[in-house]
Amino acid sequence: MDNLIKAEWFKLRKDRSLWTLIIILTTVSLLYPLLIVFDEGADTVMVIDFYRNSILGGNNYVLRLVPCILAGFFISSEYAIGTMKSIAASGNSRVRIYFAKLIVYSIGAIFISLIFPIVFTGAASVFLHFNGMPGIGYFAGTIGLTILYAVAFASIMAVFATIFTDSGKSIGFMLIFFILFDSILFILSQLNPVLEAVFNYSVFKLFLDIVNVDSVNVPEMIKLVVVPVVTFVAFGILGSILFQKKEIK
Amino acid sequence: MSDYVLKTNSLTKQFKNQIALNKVNLSVKKGSIYGFIGQNGAGKSTFIRLVTGLARPTAGSMELFGYSHGQELNQARKRIGTIIEGPALYPHMTAAENLEAHRLLKGIPGKECVKRTLAIVGLQDTGKKKAKNFSLGMKQRLGIAIALLGDPEFLILDEPINGLDPMGVVEIRELLKKLNQEYGMTILISSHILSELHLLATHYGIIHKGNLLEQLTIEELNKKCQQFLHIKVNNPEKAATIMEKQLSTNDFEVMPDGCMKLFDYVETPGKVSSILVNEGLIIEEFMPMGQNLESYFMNRIGGIHHG
Repeated sequence: MDNLIKAEWFKLRKDRSLWTLIIILTTVSLLYPLLIVFDEGADTVMVIDFYRNSILGGNNYVLRLVPCILAGFFISSEYAIGTMKSIAASGNSRVRIYFAKLIVYSIGAIFISLIFPIVFTGAASVFLHFNGMPGIGYFAGTIGLTILYAVAFASIMAVFATIFTDSGKSIGFMLIFFILFDSILFILSQLNPVLEAVFNYSVFKLFLDIVNVDSVNVPEMIKLVVVPVVTFVAFGILGSILFQKKEIK
Repeated sequence: MSDYVLKTNSLTKQFKNQIALNKVNLSVKKGSIYGFIGQNGAGKSTFIRLVTGLARPTAGSMELFGYSHGQELNQARKRIGTIIEGPALYPHMTAAENLEAHRLLKGIPGKECVKRTLAIVGLQDTGKKKAKNFSLGMKQRLGIAIALLGDPEFLILDEPINGLDPMGVVEIRELLKKLNQEYGMTILISSHILSELHLLATHYGIIHKGNLLEQLTIEELNKKCQQFLHIKVNNPEKAATIMEKQLSTNDFEVMPDGCMKLFDYVETPGKVSSILVNEGLIIEEFMPMGQNLESYFMNRIGGIHHG
């Protein structure tokens, strides 16, 4: 497993889609606070408000959409260019191959999902003269949950990327799915109590509560932590089963 | 310890209603170069995909280095180097980076094997050039380099000389011969370039429409492809006596239909015909015959199929 993770890590570091996404998100993170300063003035906006509303709010889209692009290039393209054949024929177990890929892809998704909370916040803090900074506990809590939900979404994206085996199809499908699915699930949850429970305990609803980490009670906090972990494990197992049964062309 | 690196037993693969491989019993002897011959769609790649674990057989079994089940069989695949349906490369990486990715994947310690393997296939000077900018021949070489990483005991190469220029074909042929003769590497190679296979392989398997028609050694093939003079005369017994006494040869066969196959004097047929005529025999048919691997293959699969 160690060698598989090293190989995947080597490939992730060389993945141009990851670097392109990181550069784009970093550029936005550095430039957008300037617009706010020019528009509203440096002393009128508090960093904590900016962090809650603009940074974490914007990161909700980054978290569930941008890693889809990485999944298409980092996972699906391995099938399209034929390198998955070499990997699958290497004598390593399919389960290990899948989890090595998933773990390293999840790290990539974490990088992507942390650019706004860290770089954006850093830049905004400087431009807003560190006015009304978020508490360290709150900041750490949101970062921790962001990591957990990035990993959970990554595990779902990895399943789709394995099924589609074509970068374009994977990215297209996943973007549409992740844009629409929470709304569809919400509508369905109004019709059926079982689906309502599914929606209430799904990452699609709970990731919106990252911003409220300072106001949730203990049972809700446990739910916020456990659900993404269970999602990662469940979709990891589901993906590995699919990958084991898959005939690689 | 088995003499065979690979043995399959009634290996079958069916896709819905189509049988891609039908009860194939194929054996690759340790230390051999096995030429796997078949048309497009004959089942070569399907066979290779089953052996390498990319697909699962519908029925039958296989034995790889003596292992035939589950995790042991999968572990045995670590001793194989493969090119399956073309070289699998990361286009945005250099040759060295491609090898490094596969070195890590295979868990090979030490980076020195990357340089050494690149030198073996003549790609040591490609520097920062990305694989996507390589010529087809360079891509093939890099694919072979990847297959060679970790000094596998068994190389499975699916059309490895496709796209190579004549010089490249010769280099790869010499390389494969060297790997086989000096390092004892067993090689299974599928190719459409039968003349090239004939210069390389020690054993052959002919597959057609999913059925393994025949397996034979180079000696058996050469015997079947041997050049001879096909002679039909009015008196075969007398002709046989003339060949023994006047041409001083026993290297001929009299076939049940009276035709003769003379394996001597292939280069000087005039001498044979003049002696037979001078002895009063009437020559009804007289022609040099024989086959190369290509014509033998075409005959074996039943001629040229259109369609």
